[in-house]
Amino acid sequence: MEKNAIEVKNLCFEYEEGGKHIDDVSFCVKEGSYTTVIGHNGSGKSTIAKLIAGLLEKKSGEIYVDGIELNLDNLVKIRNVLGIVFQNPDNQFIGSTVEDDIAFGLENHCVKQEEMEGIILTHAEKVNMMKYLHHEPTHLSGGQKQRVAIAGILAMKPRIIIFDEATSMLDPQGKDEIKRVIRELHEKSNITILSITHDIEEVAMSDEVIVLNQGKLALQGEPHEVFYNEEALNAIKLDIPFSIKLKKALDKEGVSINNHITMEGMVKDLCKSHSNM
Amino acid sequence: MGNITLGRYIPMDSPIHRMDPRAKIIAMLFVLIAIFFRAGWIGYGVIFVAVSIVIILAKLKPSFIWRAMKPMLFMLTFLLIINALVIKTGNVLFTIGSFSLYSDAVLSTLYIAVRLLLMIMITTCLTATTKPLDMTLGIEDLLKPFTKIKVPAHEIAMLISIALRFIPDLIEETQRIMKAQESRGVDLKEGKLKEKIMAILSLIVPLFVSAFQRAEDLANAMEARGYAPGEKRTRYRILKMHGRDYLLMFGALCILIGMIGIAKFL
Amino acid sequence: MQISFQHVSYIYNEGTPYEYQALNDVNLDIQEGKITAIIGQTGSGKSTLVQHLNALLLPKTGEIHILDRVIKASENPKQLKALRGDVGLVFQFPEYQLFEETVLKDVAFGPKNFNVSEKDAIKRAKEALQMVGIKEDSYEKSPLELSGGQKRRVAIAGILAMDPKVLVLDEPTAGLDPVGTKEMMQLFKKLNSDYNKTILIVTHDMEQVFKYCDNVVVMQDGSVKVHTSVDEFFRDAESCEELNILPPAVIRMKKMLNENGFHIEGEIKDITALAKAIAKEVKHG
Repeated sequence: MEKNAIEVKNLCFEYEEGGKHIDDVSFCVKEGSYTTVIGHNGSGKSTIAKLIAGLLEKKSGEIYVDGIELNLDNLVKIRNVLGIVFQNPDNQFIGSTVEDDIAFGLENHCVKQEEMEGIILTHAEKVNMMKYLHHEPTHLSGGQKQRVAIAGILAMKPRIIIFDEATSMLDPQGKDEIKRVIRELHEKSNITILSITHDIEEVAMSDEVIVLNQGKLALQGEPHEVFYNEEALNAIKLDIPFSIKLKKALDKEGVSINNHITMEGMVKDLCKSHSNM
Repeated sequence: MGNITLGRYIPMDSPIHRMDPRAKIIAMLFVLIAIFFRAGWIGYGVIFVAVSIVIILAKLKPSFIWRAMKPMLFMLTFLLIINALVIKTGNVLFTIGSFSLYSDAVLSTLYIAVRLLLMIMITTCLTATTKPLDMTLGIEDLLKPFTKIKVPAHEIAMLISIALRFIPDLIEETQRIMKAQESRGVDLKEGKLKEKIMAILSLIVPLFVSAFQRAEDLANAMEARGYAPGEKRTRYRILKMHGRDYLLMFGALCILIGMIGIAKFL
Repeated sequence: MQISFQHVSYIYNEGTPYEYQALNDVNLDIQEGKITAIIGQTGSGKSTLVQHLNALLLPKTGEIHILDRVIKASENPKQLKALRGDVGLVFQFPEYQLFEETVLKDVAFGPKNFNVSEKDAIKRAKEALQMVGIKEDSYEKSPLELSGGQKRRVAIAGILAMDPKVLVLDEPTAGLDPVGTKEMMQLFKKLNSDYNKTILIVTHDMEQVFKYCDNVVVMQDGSVKVHTSVDEFFRDAESCEELNILPPAVIRMKKMLNENGFHIEGEIKDITALAKAIAKEVKHG
């Protein structure tokens, strides 16, 4: 049986000011999967990430991370298996240089000093930041800072990483860098990835997508299942991938074609019908 | 911001740069204390020569020290005027109308000027040759014995290092908000008092809002990466003392004892 | 009354080890009454360029002609204050410039700085808030209570209330969700068409450039690399790719299809046009 990396049951949350909230949300994230969470700003996406990471306290409901129930006593255990990359590249860079920032988490986990250098090098290599070990954050681009954040988390050997809109403040180049790192992680390791994002093309690459709307779970499923659920998507005015928009436009022109969530798949399909004529 | 030299680190490779920050801090403290003993011109001469040797070894330019000293000149001029008006002992140097300048007024100002110069030279020797990060580590290690009397050595060090880490970011942020408000017609240089107050508010309020946001983000990031204040943690950077470090501290101690000696017996 | 840059250069931290030439002999004429996109990689000089438009930065050499004024190195900055009211500059993440107790007061702050009377400033503020779609029940709220997208609207209203003829926006949709982005871009389109404002937008998003802008300026290493109409610029994917710019999805799709045996020619403006062109080929071979 497949294990769940994250299980959320009947989760509720309210801010003190009574603003945004999470309303009876339940979902599971499969171990080793690449799951994305989408929804408008204010839909509660980031709040859920912070609840799972134990940075906010839930009002009611249950959260299990790697089989461990999230509560005050288990917080340290959960922090050992779960890492989170935040949105703002500047505000999560804690060390004075790249190597010090990667070391920060290791120091907290009381890793022996002799072992640290090796671990830092390995993980700087993984995110392609070897050349910048002694650089200060002011001399790095947003994408580079986010890569350092990822290295710092990987060094702590997590089983789950949450990306909380980790690409939204980056330029196109930085976005591509981070998406590539995420994809590589998913392919080469067994780490479960939960990525909160607005990037519809990133969603198309993921195994499973969770759609939130006004603090409630709207949809969950594989990207193609979710994106073809036109009624539900229209109701919450969510953006859809380009290939699906094109398919709809083609339908109107009397060209029917299979469902695709990537442009490449669609091109292949179209070429087939082109040459068959 | 490019003009401030006092307290700035100058990246270079010199024997002084390579020394242990703890040794440098302790040596600095010894010599700073030594200045406060009235050891006369001989004493100051000795300290000046010793510190100059360190400055030469550290490959620092005299002009760098001079630029750090410059902002103090105004203060010294002011001091000279006060002293000239107040101190009326020693020989009369010259008289203009009813005002006479006494030698002690000049001498006492000169004393302070020399001390100030020496202090700046000594502190510059430390700050210009020690990376902020190493400085923090040095302070943490030196404070460690005091943790027994509840001095939070590690927390102080963490505080300093985070402050240092975010200073460039905050300067950038300030400049951005200034430009944004200037684009809304704010004039930070001119205007009536009421306008000036509004101008300052329009800068301070956004700065606070963003600083709080930053602090919250940072706290989340630190917590998520397993940081808990007061908990035991290991350290990536370990400081190590070498022969030359002991030599530096010993030299500084000799100066201190020498000055006490001169002040007491000569 | 065009906007024109003539041999403009700008250097940051001149005479220090951190010296950096951000603009290098920029010559550029920007069409009045149009939406012009300014694109280019981070560090290409986009932001430096737009900060010259309201004289926040003065050129080291060269001059800028804008709204019958001339900005050059020797200009006394005091003379240029009035210009700031005519050329509204909205910075990146403008929500961080909100500081007043209420939304209405914050929006009225700009006009008041240009000696508009209290009463008129409030009137203008209300108009500007209406333009950006902030409802009246929010006028007396603290700007800090609003959501991210609303804060940004209020901040933009704060610039609009100065009634600028030229509106310059530095990455106005950064950090907004797709719906927020779309609404924001539609707002600029409306300001351009209904209120006849000349608009310059610094952006990284080619879909926005393709869909909403008239002209495009590509900056590279402090110089203008390309300046042309959007239609021309996106005619084929190659010219974008040469500049290391990912073309809009429609153009990418067109290119991919043509590489695989299709022959889609001519201008494709949107997804409907693309679907029509595909249908034509599939049906008639």
